[in-house]
Amino acid sequence: MTPGSTSADRIERHKFVDRAYHWLMAASVLILLVTAFLPILGIKFEWVGIHWVTGLVLTLIVLFHIIRATVWQSFWSMMIDGTDLKAPFAKPGKYNLAQKLYHLAISVLILSTIATGLLMWRKVDTPFWQRDPYWLSTDSWGVVYAIHGLAAMALVTMVIIHVYFALRPDEWHLTRSMLRGWMTRKEYADHHDPRRWPAKDEV
Amino acid sequence: MSLFRYANSIYGGGDTLIGANYQLLPWFALAGVAFAIAHAIFKAVVVAEKPR
Repeated sequence: MTPGSTSADRIERHKFVDRAYHWLMAASVLILLVTAFLPILGIKFEWVGIHWVTGLVLTLIVLFHIIRATVWQSFWSMMIDGTDLKAPFAKPGKYNLAQKLYHLAISVLILSTIATGLLMWRKVDTPFWQRDPYWLSTDSWGVVYAIHGLAAMALVTMVIIHVYFALRPDEWHLTRSMLRGWMTRKEYADHHDPRRWPAKDEV
Repeated sequence: MSLFRYANSIYGGGDTLIGANYQLLPWFALAGVAFAIAHAIFKAVVVAEKPR
């Protein structure tokens, strides 16, 4: 019998709703990066409509994630705590220090692009309103565009790093848990401190 | 290379910030690839040095 072949040998790590959020967010971010940067690289197409609709989808699912993480999930499991700083290489809870730092960085970048993207939305014709390019001053739009562009380019770096870790063989149990929701009891015992993450059996 | 792009203001008074400098995009991508290569080499060395 191979590890994880029965539900008795599985620990639930991510519920379906959280995995769906992760992959929807991944698809949204990739579409947003492609529609933003291909025209800059010289590949011209009608990108604005795809970009703002996908940005709106990303905004809504991030809002859902913030509410779900705050109300229904263990919000503090993703926050850097004293134990992470005192013993950064000790067995972690559900997430290790590097994952928490990555989450913090990606949160800042995504929220920056969403906030500035929502402002820039005012300059686009939508079914809800007609564009108003004079809504902010030229200097203010410069700051908005600068933050949006720098955060988007930094997201390229972060996506490459994320994909690299997802493909590493020694991180495969985490990638599998984001695909199928579970990890084996052995993986749980090898990589996590049960006092910091008292995991549940797979339902 | 500057992080930002500027243009001459039509009202005078010097340059106006108009956004990020997208010529930096390859450098941001390269930073991600460089991190991945450096980490892979580090992990390979650490695994090779671990006593069996």
